[in-house]
Amino acid sequence: LWETVTSSFASFIHGVQPEHLSKIVRHRSKRMILDSIGVGLVGSTTHVFDIALQYSSAISTRTPSSLPQLPALHTSMSLSPFLWQTHSMDFDDTWHPATHPSGAILPALLAASQMLPPSTKPNGMDFLLAFNVGLEVQGRLMHFSTEAHNIPKRFHPPSVVGTMGSAAATAKLLSLSTAQCTHALGIAASLAGAPMANAATQAKPLHIGNATRLGFEAALLAARGMEANPLILDDIPGCSGFSVFYSVYQPKPLSTPSDHHEFLLEKQDIAFKRFPAHLGMHWVVDAALSVRNLFIHYAGSFSPSLIRTIVLKIPVSKYINRPFPSSEHEARHSFQFNACTALLDGEVGLSSFTESSIHRQELRELLDKVVVEHPEDNVANFDKMYGEVELLLHSGDVLTGKCDTFYGHWRKPLSKESLLKKFRSNASHVLSEEKIETIITMVDNLENLSDSSQLACSL
Amino acid sequence: LNIYFFFFPSQTVTGNFANVIHGLNANHLTDQVIQRSKRMILDTLGVGLLGTSTEVCHKVTRYSKIYSSDISSTIWGHLDFRLPPLYAAFVNGVAVHSMDFDDTWHPATHPSGAVLPAVIALSEAFPQKKKISGLDLLLAFNVGIEVQGRLLRFSSEARNIPKRFHPPTVVGTMGSAAACAKLLALDRLKCKNTLAIAASYAGAPLANAATQTKPLHVGNAAKHGLEAACLASQGLQGNKQILDMESGIGAFYTDYNPQTLPTLQSYPWLLDQQDVAIKCFPAHLGTHWVADAASSVRKKLVESSDNLLPLDKIEKIILKVPEVKYVNRPRPISEHEARHSFQFVACSALLNGSMSVQSFTSENVHQPALQELLCKTQLEHPPDNTPSFDSLYCEVSVTLRDGNTISDRCDTFYGHWRKPLKKEDLEKKFQSNASSVLPAEATEGIIETVYNLENVKDCSVLSTFLSGRSARALSEKRHAQSNIVGFG
Repeated sequence: LWETVTSSFASFIHGVQPEHLSKIVRHRSKRMILDSIGVGLVGSTTHVFDIALQYSSAISTRTPSSLPQLPALHTSMSLSPFLWQTHSMDFDDTWHPATHPSGAILPALLAASQMLPPSTKPNGMDFLLAFNVGLEVQGRLMHFSTEAHNIPKRFHPPSVVGTMGSAAATAKLLSLSTAQCTHALGIAASLAGAPMANAATQAKPLHIGNATRLGFEAALLAARGMEANPLILDDIPGCSGFSVFYSVYQPKPLSTPSDHHEFLLEKQDIAFKRFPAHLGMHWVVDAALSVRNLFIHYAGSFSPSLIRTIVLKIPVSKYINRPFPSSEHEARHSFQFNACTALLDGEVGLSSFTESSIHRQELRELLDKVVVEHPEDNVANFDKMYGEVELLLHSGDVLTGKCDTFYGHWRKPLSKESLLKKFRSNASHVLSEEKIETIITMVDNLENLSDSSQLACSL
Repeated sequence: LNIYFFFFPSQTVTGNFANVIHGLNANHLTDQVIQRSKRMILDTLGVGLLGTSTEVCHKVTRYSKIYSSDISSTIWGHLDFRLPPLYAAFVNGVAVHSMDFDDTWHPATHPSGAVLPAVIALSEAFPQKKKISGLDLLLAFNVGIEVQGRLLRFSSEARNIPKRFHPPTVVGTMGSAAACAKLLALDRLKCKNTLAIAASYAGAPLANAATQTKPLHVGNAAKHGLEAACLASQGLQGNKQILDMESGIGAFYTDYNPQTLPTLQSYPWLLDQQDVAIKCFPAHLGTHWVADAASSVRKKLVESSDNLLPLDKIEKIILKVPEVKYVNRPRPISEHEARHSFQFVACSALLNGSMSVQSFTSENVHQPALQELLCKTQLEHPPDNTPSFDSLYCEVSVTLRDGNTISDRCDTFYGHWRKPLKKEDLEKKFQSNASSVLPAEATEGIIETVYNLENVKDCSVLSTFLSGRSARALSEKRHAQSNIVGFG
């Protein structure tokens, strides 16, 4: 039977089982779940979260009891995924091809797990499976276009594939039929796609909030019988489907999960961020830290007055090339800012992006010395790019630091300790130590959890 | 010190749009714009009321009911429940586009459905003491229409019937956002942010046209535009050059040339220069040319054979239409496909003489005689038949077994902007639609209110009629209002 690309995706979503998840995939995805929760929790301390909350409260009956605990708010159901501001600080995971996969699916699943009646509550394994379905669909869709391999220019990938992933994951958790899965994808496509121009603004976090919420809605609508174009992922000449978001589009069917379905997460791990800024920043920061060490060794201490010029060798990407960022959002998307902060402070963390930090005089002085170069071999691609920081001293000496693979990148993954350290640090802004440890244990043992809504309740 | 000042002119297109949205006031509305937009409002309400009875609307209503709220707005045609403004905008927007019966503009989009449900829902969300007048509503509505028209002129792609993104999802979302920002009286900065935030909700692919999801495109445009304005009102910020950048609204087009709007001094509204088309039957606009031509051909055919269509004598039917892939459906199965089929409308008009709401019922779609005619129908795409609602034509030729060919051509159907519906016919359409759902007092009340919109002190009367509340309750309300507000 000739199967369309769209129906192959629906069959996969419907047919894949927990047995298909390999050990590596389970391990990696649990790390992603933990990291995303931590990032979402610390995200609830941001201004953008306040706005989203005020807005959502204005259109819900139940008012929040205490702010920081997100799902405990029990606001209007469609909005609780929206409130998860995993992307509010650009601290969430990144994949290759480029997108932020987890933030688009986890909140929807947490909400969906709480929605189902007690008799049909999905267990931890179901939850883990649905999460991986959401990841897999995103990854497969990105492989439909060569455009997706490079840092994006037109549509922000989480708003394109994230919405589809959220719909797929929710459809899986809700056990929708194959036909309903097809329509969930179709409805989601009509809710996907936000332009890049809002990256580096306060509206960027909304891209993930909306991806997870709208994908969730698409699945709910499909569950109630809404129908869309059953060929949405296929190539439809003269009338664009999902292909509309790409200039080159070559869809391929997903094979039905046999004994040996290989999830993309098996071959391609995720990158976790060590500090809340665009992934590209992590290369220049590591390079800056290394040259800083050389400099301290050379001069005894970090003495900016000795530096004539700072040369950054970076790939071409307009939305992360900002010589003088003026807001926290711009700062998270500025090679120059992150390099100079690393040079000045010896580290980059949450506090590097506060108003006072951004406008420090010493930092502005360093930024003044920066010059940017785009070597031809430095491609705007998270798998291939590098960062190089050169200090040209007044004395004539040149010190260089280069980073090909930063710590946290999929080629050099964070250790368990580092990942837990990040989680504890993030979660402690908002939760007690006891709750923090409970969550860590629960996620670690997710496959054995009998009722996955407990995860949402524990937050 | 900031290098960026060198790269952006002092007046960005985005900033200019925000200034205009903020600065337009009732004095700028011309008589013609007022008249045309009221016709659009009336038609949209009727179409929406009829649409509440569709399956797609039932589904989105059931879905939306899972959310509840203290603040609520009217669901057109319903007294029995209300929804939060966001979902009221969504459900009513879906109703408006549920049958493809709503207005169409040039360049191509369905302008009113994205805006009216949002502004009406929003008008009900203000605290009791703040009254929104009919004129406020009319102005906000027109701001929403104007912004859409201006955005459509930023790309040559927009002049033709679309292929990639469904226009209401791109410009409709922006129009709804602008209209809501106007109604909320947001300052210039917040107007800019409204546009920026709305852009991140815009854009749905055309492939969902001719499916049950298409009506959601308009519902979502209304809902998301409203949401963008509310978020901006709470202080959320986006890219202040959203209309200027290729990676902003430019992302939805292959060629994009934004321009600033004219000055506010005697502002030239697009609706003044370019009217909308209002449909006589619920199907894609392109099929209206086909229906006209087919009806004329039928008249000629039955003249010579006792007023009955000589079905077995028909050898073949050729339709000369522009090339529009998503309206080329030789054998539509669902009602949604039938509304997007040149072939279906031609055969249906040939069989029945005219098209109506009833033409798309399951019985009619699956009629054997119709199926027979469909088998004999072919399309041709003459190169001079451009896929633009301003210039396309349709020629229907029926060739009989004896070799004779009867044909006719339609350049401008009745209801097109070149041949607008007369007042009586507009009202007749509205009554026919609205009376399927509302009592006579309410339908009369709506007509009266809309025709007198600029003088209505409190536009909540419109919502009251839309919900079908009884006349007695209404006159009590009016009585109470006149005591509070005072007329003068």
